[in-house]
Amino acid sequence: MGWVITMQIRLAGFGGQGVILAGVILGDAAAIEGLNVIQTQDYGSQSRGGHSIADLIISKDPIYDLIVTKADVLLALAQLGYDSTKESLREGGLLIVDTELVQPDKEFTGAPFTRIAEEEVGLALTVNMVALGYLVAKTNVVKKESVEEAIRRRVPKGTEEINLKAFRIGYEEGTK
Amino acid sequence: MYLKSSYEIRDKYLRKDMLPTIFCPGCGIGAVLQYTLRAIDDLGLNQDEVVWVSGIGCSSRVPGYVNFDGLHTTHGRALAFATGIKMANPDLKVIAFMGDGDAAAIGGNHLIHAIRRNLDITVILINNFTYGMTGGQVAPTTPKGLRGTTAPYGSFENPFDIAELAVAAGANYVARWSVFNYLQGINSIKKALQKEGFTLVEFLSPCPISFGRRNKLKTAPELIKWYQKLSVPISKAKEMSPEELEGKVIIGEFIDRDRPSLVKEYEAYKKRAKKAMGWEE
Amino acid sequence: MRYPFPVGAVDFIQGDEAIARAAILAGCRFYAGYPITPASEIFEAMSIYMPLVDGVSIQMEDEIGSIAAVIGASWAGAKSMTATSGPGFSLMMENLGYAIMTETPLVLVNVQRSGPSTGQPTLAAQGDLMQAIWGTHGDHSLIVLTPATVQEAFDMTIKAFNLAEKYRTPVILLTDAEVGHMRERVYAPHPDELELIYRKLPANEEEANYPFGDIHGDLVPPMPVFGKGHHTYVTGLTHDEKGRPKTVQSEIHEKLIKRIVEKIEKNKKDIVDYEDYELEDAEIVIISFGIVARSAMRAVKELRKKGIKAGLLKLNVLWPFDFELIERIAERVEKIYVAEMNLGQLYHMVKEGANGKAPVELIPKIGGEIHTPKEIIERIKDNLR
Repeated sequence: MGWVITMQIRLAGFGGQGVILAGVILGDAAAIEGLNVIQTQDYGSQSRGGHSIADLIISKDPIYDLIVTKADVLLALAQLGYDSTKESLREGGLLIVDTELVQPDKEFTGAPFTRIAEEEVGLALTVNMVALGYLVAKTNVVKKESVEEAIRRRVPKGTEEINLKAFRIGYEEGTK
Repeated sequence: MYLKSSYEIRDKYLRKDMLPTIFCPGCGIGAVLQYTLRAIDDLGLNQDEVVWVSGIGCSSRVPGYVNFDGLHTTHGRALAFATGIKMANPDLKVIAFMGDGDAAAIGGNHLIHAIRRNLDITVILINNFTYGMTGGQVAPTTPKGLRGTTAPYGSFENPFDIAELAVAAGANYVARWSVFNYLQGINSIKKALQKEGFTLVEFLSPCPISFGRRNKLKTAPELIKWYQKLSVPISKAKEMSPEELEGKVIIGEFIDRDRPSLVKEYEAYKKRAKKAMGWEE
Repeated sequence: MRYPFPVGAVDFIQGDEAIARAAILAGCRFYAGYPITPASEIFEAMSIYMPLVDGVSIQMEDEIGSIAAVIGASWAGAKSMTATSGPGFSLMMENLGYAIMTETPLVLVNVQRSGPSTGQPTLAAQGDLMQAIWGTHGDHSLIVLTPATVQEAFDMTIKAFNLAEKYRTPVILLTDAEVGHMRERVYAPHPDELELIYRKLPANEEEANYPFGDIHGDLVPPMPVFGKGHHTYVTGLTHDEKGRPKTVQSEIHEKLIKRIVEKIEKNKKDIVDYEDYELEDAEIVIISFGIVARSAMRAVKELRKKGIKAGLLKLNVLWPFDFELIERIAERVEKIYVAEMNLGQLYHMVKEGANGKAPVELIPKIGGEIHTPKEIIERIKDNLR
């Protein structure tokens, strides 16, 4: 997958997986590179457990479309997230899933992000960074270094190292 | 106690081009205004640093007659406006002049929160048991059984005891007098003005035209005599049983404490904020 | 002067956050508010920043108390702001009128959500337009600004403070849940780069006697703030130039209210702001504001690609309203469309402005979702068939 003028990206999961933080970090990375970017989010009222969706539109041009209508990339970290967003993936778009938590009904790529976070990073909570790394490797929408800078700016103080570790492991996985 | 002539007080503090006042013959508001001005004068407060705030009602007209900065606001909201004034410029001394309906009905919520916050303000509350300006409707302070235009057969609700409310909400100083307790009134106001935090001085005040007339107390002297019968000094009240206190109004100083005021707490808060963010000097 | 966020730099932040930062840079040092979705983030950001810049951020017991405190603080000399959404906006109406009547500078942010009543608390709408202009009782005028991007939310907050101080009036920043919660890149200039206005203070004791009189001929009286020895009396009752209540003489009321209204109306040229796109040879014009204007812009671009001569008028100021501008456009085009996230509010103002010179059609949308460019295009193409 190469760069296009405008990319619509949708991240979906359930509340508590850090989907929105991943979206904000990806958006921040694009902003750092001087790209135009809009990031929006949608979630259920529960703090934990409801669906959680982060949308990004990244473009070299000024952005007038505000809604992800036909996502170029859909990342689903949970079946709940996938079910509520699968219609928004465009024909030929890239579907990335957590292979152990999502059973997609179309062509997909992915890895067991949650297990990788648990076993290789050592903290299941970093599933969002593992998945983000994978997505960035697969799409090249932004540079690895931009995301790392965004991670340092956005994650809670003291958790920078573990989040960077998770991101790099996911990125590594995505280059395979 | 030496009292200056009221002409001296009038000439120094009243806006002559705004007189005469709208107050009826027999109204107690003028007397309470005089006590307040005497207290300010005795304390030598800077006329440029005192701000008067009020809501809507006869009592709330007072700031219009005095030569100070004044904010005559919307019904019941004086204390909310006052919060902004004081917090934006803590050097200003804020006095709120309100009636019972304005403060305890529509303004009830702002009243309890201003007290809860211990906002640095002195509230002079004129309690005439009615909504005077609009013609005598019942108020949350109207004693049960007494008449107003909106309860022509006698109020069927329990009234508030505003002084007790203020104590329970956390005020630093609360006192209640009737308008004929002029010495105690002036002294209470002076005490209140010198204290930080929320201070309230309530005055039982005659309203012969709107309240008295409907309750067989047609003149100010009749009303004041009635207040005398009604009121019990707090020291005496402590010895009396609830049955004996039935239908009475306690007067005196209810509380006198020095809990930290809102301005002081906010100063400490700013220090905490700067420390937490590593912004200390 | 140290700031608790990047200045002279770009950051990736939500609209609500941008509004808070801009307010601080504009010199706002008093904020009072009450929690309400989707405006709470403005309050929370102000709560973090204000104590650090020696300002005040306080949670009042309700929205009525919030705007009251803001007015009080303004008279104590501070630039002040509050933010809310629909239900709180309705509560603020009485005191908003008080601020207009007493000519108190302040900024009131309404992050519109879908109503009426409790409605759809987390979703955007543009249903408070008429209320922003006419919601408070009696004859009055004020200024209403409306941003479409996060950068505009930032820039217009600065502008809101400047207009409020310049014209001694409340200014409403009418935004929505979408702009409030979306993240975009924002450049925040250093305050030294900004032109900031503070209200006209009286030049001398004589001027301080006329806090409500047009003594400078520009319809804006000097504002003798409290604590300076002016002994100013401020009341919501009809008053004369000195501030003395005078409620029974009709000439005094007429003079006061007309001046308050003309203060805004006669300065339309300075206040009104809009952007037009491809309007010169347009046969069809879409008029829009806020977030919808972005979808409308995309629609115009797509229509042009299809050979349809479409143009866009994006309003940045909703009041005062330039009715003549609409008429001039209506004279040149064949049809006007008004796209808004409500059942027709700007539509009526545009129709009045068009004065029969061109048909005006409404493209409404409610339910919390923004018009897609496709929806706008389809409607226009349907009509052309």
